[in-house]
Amino acid sequence: MSLAFDDYGRPYIILRDQGQKKRMKGLEAYKSNILAAKAVANTLSSSLGPKGMDKMLVSPDGDVSVTNDGATIVEKMEIQHPTAKLLVELSQSQDAEIGDGTTGVVVLAGKLLEQALTLLDKGIHPLKISDGFDRACDVAIKHLETISEEIDIQANEHEALIQAACTALGSKVVSKRKRELGKIAVTAVLDVADLARRDVNLDLIKIQTKTGGSVEDTRLISGILIDKDMSHPQMPKEVKEAKICLLTCPFEPPKPKTKHNINISSAEDYKKLYLQEQQYFVDMVKLVKDSGANIALCQWGFDDEANHLLLQNELPAVRWVSGTDVELIAMATGARIIPRFQEITPEKLGKAGSVKEVQFGTSNERMLVIENCQCTKAVTILIRGGSQMIVDEAKRSIHDAICVIRNLIKDNRIVYGGGSAELACAIQVLQYADEVSSVEQYAIRSFADALEGIPCCLADNCGLNPITSVAQAKARQLQESNPRIGIDCMELGTTDMKEQRIYETLSSKKQQIQLATQVVKMILKIDDVIAPDDY
Amino acid sequence: MSQFLQPTILLLREGTDTSQGRAQIVSNINAVQAVADVVKSTLGPRGMDKMIQTGPKVTISNDGATILNLLEVVHPAARVLVDIAKSQDDEVGDGTTSTTLLAAELLKEAKPFIEEGIHPQIVIQGYRKALELALEKLEGFSINIAKDSAQDKRDTLLKCAQTALNSKLLANTKHFFSELVVSAVEKLDPNILDRDLIGIKNVTGGSVTDSFLVDGVAFKKTFSYAGFEQQPKRFENPKICLLNLELELKSEKENAEIRIEKPEEYQSIVDAEWALIYEKLEIIVKAGAQIVLSKLPIGDLATQYFADRNIFCAGRVTQDDLLRVQKATGGQVQTTVNGLNPETFGTCGLFEEVQVGAERYNLFKNCPQSRTATIVLRGGAEQFIQEAERSLNDAIMIVRRCFKANKIVAGGGAIELEISRFLRHYARSVTGKTQYIVNSYAKALEVIPRTIAENAGLNSIEIMNKLRQKHAQGGEEGRWYGVDINGASGVCDTHSSFVWEPTLVKRNALCSATEAACAILSIDETVKNPKSDQDTKMKPKGQPGRPPMGMRR
Repeated sequence: MSLAFDDYGRPYIILRDQGQKKRMKGLEAYKSNILAAKAVANTLSSSLGPKGMDKMLVSPDGDVSVTNDGATIVEKMEIQHPTAKLLVELSQSQDAEIGDGTTGVVVLAGKLLEQALTLLDKGIHPLKISDGFDRACDVAIKHLETISEEIDIQANEHEALIQAACTALGSKVVSKRKRELGKIAVTAVLDVADLARRDVNLDLIKIQTKTGGSVEDTRLISGILIDKDMSHPQMPKEVKEAKICLLTCPFEPPKPKTKHNINISSAEDYKKLYLQEQQYFVDMVKLVKDSGANIALCQWGFDDEANHLLLQNELPAVRWVSGTDVELIAMATGARIIPRFQEITPEKLGKAGSVKEVQFGTSNERMLVIENCQCTKAVTILIRGGSQMIVDEAKRSIHDAICVIRNLIKDNRIVYGGGSAELACAIQVLQYADEVSSVEQYAIRSFADALEGIPCCLADNCGLNPITSVAQAKARQLQESNPRIGIDCMELGTTDMKEQRIYETLSSKKQQIQLATQVVKMILKIDDVIAPDDY
Repeated sequence: MSQFLQPTILLLREGTDTSQGRAQIVSNINAVQAVADVVKSTLGPRGMDKMIQTGPKVTISNDGATILNLLEVVHPAARVLVDIAKSQDDEVGDGTTSTTLLAAELLKEAKPFIEEGIHPQIVIQGYRKALELALEKLEGFSINIAKDSAQDKRDTLLKCAQTALNSKLLANTKHFFSELVVSAVEKLDPNILDRDLIGIKNVTGGSVTDSFLVDGVAFKKTFSYAGFEQQPKRFENPKICLLNLELELKSEKENAEIRIEKPEEYQSIVDAEWALIYEKLEIIVKAGAQIVLSKLPIGDLATQYFADRNIFCAGRVTQDDLLRVQKATGGQVQTTVNGLNPETFGTCGLFEEVQVGAERYNLFKNCPQSRTATIVLRGGAEQFIQEAERSLNDAIMIVRRCFKANKIVAGGGAIELEISRFLRHYARSVTGKTQYIVNSYAKALEVIPRTIAENAGLNSIEIMNKLRQKHAQGGEEGRWYGVDINGASGVCDTHSSFVWEPTLVKRNALCSATEAACAILSIDETVKNPKSDQDTKMKPKGQPGRPPMGMRR
């Protein structure tokens, strides 16, 4: 920071460590903020759309991840710049709220900032620009609502949902199998959805990954899959008509929580104690057996002695089942979680068609599948794939698809993708701009330009000529007054996105435009940056 | 020669920086200007934000007190400004920037007098006199809204909230948020208006207009154990049991030790421990509670026990959330379950766990004797929401104040100009130096409208001329003219365009700014001890100060 001097030529030390602070003011601050944010947006812009490219990110520990998901990319880039960080958060909040469209929102914000920069050069006050953007945003949102269409999610075996999921999966590495994966995602969501309340608790969908096999082997298990095996190799590998006993206490003699020590004064006592310990094991197994359970899942471990006893008594058991799994299993099988052996009753047991140990490929790893549960309130998607990277990316993609479906269940209005909705809004905003008499007009017009940036970017990523294709699409939208004309990314021969069945949720699009505008407004409002001067 | 050989008398530790005299006052004034310059551009509806990075944390704010606080001002005189901004924030919550600016401007006006040799105490007296008159006038000019009907009062509150939000990020949605804020404050007990009973919860994601008000309490789902998902998540008119009690299987007292003589006794100890916790749970269930909230953890055992009996529970609820639940539902927090009385249970219209953004929230709605409200704020980025929260906080404070005080004045610089006009008029009737000083005070007040105009990119000189002319007409019609940032002319009647502020804000701003200016003017010597050794080594060039020979006077 610049120093001020008093009448004796001494510098004022007004702030702590004043010499080590950097201060940027006015135009310099706007520009540096905008450029930083734009740099982030530019990185992401090549990931947009069905033919968007992936990014390879190497973490400080050397872990490599390959992804197309905007939120993941920006998160792993470990951005330092404070303004650029705002865009990271923007992407993450889109992820948190909607789950999909995380790339689009950052690209849109980047385009808006780019426009703002030119407007600033023209000498327009930044707040006028943000006012203009705000008004344009309202117009765009209203228009989105008018062009949106309600779809019947039930019709034709949830065809619409599957299409929407396919659109979300289209840009990912798994796009070849998008239909199969889309179906899996739709079934999974519908299984756990509470259609009456239009609420979906995504915690009830467990996504389990396992390297090996190919993406085609990905499947939905209407039950729970846990990465555990039977506690003893000689226990039966499959239990039909399972009655599951879910325990949250260890298979060992109970211990008081209070600090205690046992004083043994004679050998006799010691023997008694030993016998009592043995008796505990016998009693515990007996209690489980008596209730009619034929499999026990335990949140804690049990020692080999207990294990042996369980085997002798033909009671298959699983140890170290994690807390969340216990909960999911309880939900799926209708079991009650039992905190101690004395409380085991037949009513508290969960029921499942089969509990089966499955093995994958040639590896010795086994997993337990609990299927045909009494009440399928929880489901698992098992993702397979050639390598860890593919599996991870597939997991993120399916998460996106699941989010899209959830949003459609909440709000069944859609708009068409392929940049058509943005174009339609841009046209509307442009018309509105002409009605505004003040300086904001320029900002509103720029907003329209920024919206057009999305289809432009899409076309560019698909190897089309961006200007020509956007111009054509725009002209046709105007001529036919059809807001569904977009960019034919997949080169299917039609630009009508309704025919191509590219569905996007209205809530996602709305959210993208609103969030991007909000963050841009915030960046434009900063005229002073005070930061430690170290980079 | 001996009279020249005065021995050097060292009074203070070596390295101590002392500055004194008139130069010191001037130097302090300059330092204050530098600080005020930082916040200057945040004033008014077209005020800009500051982005301040402290360590890994980035704050974007428009709030004067927040900015000054984050700047880490170390200059002793400049710190006075930080303190008045803070006191304004604590006292009324809004107007922190204008207070700071006013104080700096008063000092700036005083500087020529000091330089010309007028004794600072005379300036101080003059300022105090001017303040007295200004406050008197402020009361006279303010408009009482108490006698109006409830609807009118609500309107006024909305207007005040909107004025407070005008300069913030939320300016474009001010109608939405002022409604939210006023509804929230109306929920409170009108006699106490405890600010703590309005909760603000931040959830990233969504648009700002997705923010909503819960006429009751909302808090994030607490950490839960296995079994939680099996609990019911929706109740109508539930009985809510509030506890400050740990429901977990654990050792009863830290240092207890048990000696068991016979192995058979072992089981009895285990059973005793279980019996203790089960007994507690049973009492709660028997009393008929349907929702159990506790400040302390509720363990997995209890979670499952409640799940089996269709009871919802949440442990580790924070203190203020629990307090709000207590206020909202009319329940009482129990520290033991012995003799649990169903009368201590609270109730609400509807309890529900819902998804907000990526979080799950527990909402307690339609509380019967609700004296509390919760605002759930949504927005794009963490910093955005934080700034929104600060802005709402300002608005809430203003509405609260307005609720109590019932008196308003017009904003946009109108009231400052009106007082300024009056003081100028008054100055002519005084004889002596005070005349100049009261005049300066009047001039300093003009800084508010001038800065608002400057920040809005208007021609401030032209605007000031127009405003002075309007006010000089005197009487009712010219009184409320202030800066208009939207219109073409740049000035308008801010009273009729509803830029309203509670009188209290202005009153406090004037008082604390004047006090701060007087305090700084009356300092004629600073003795600054050298920092402890570590610091000076790190920063040898920090503040060289004058060599110790300065002491040899």
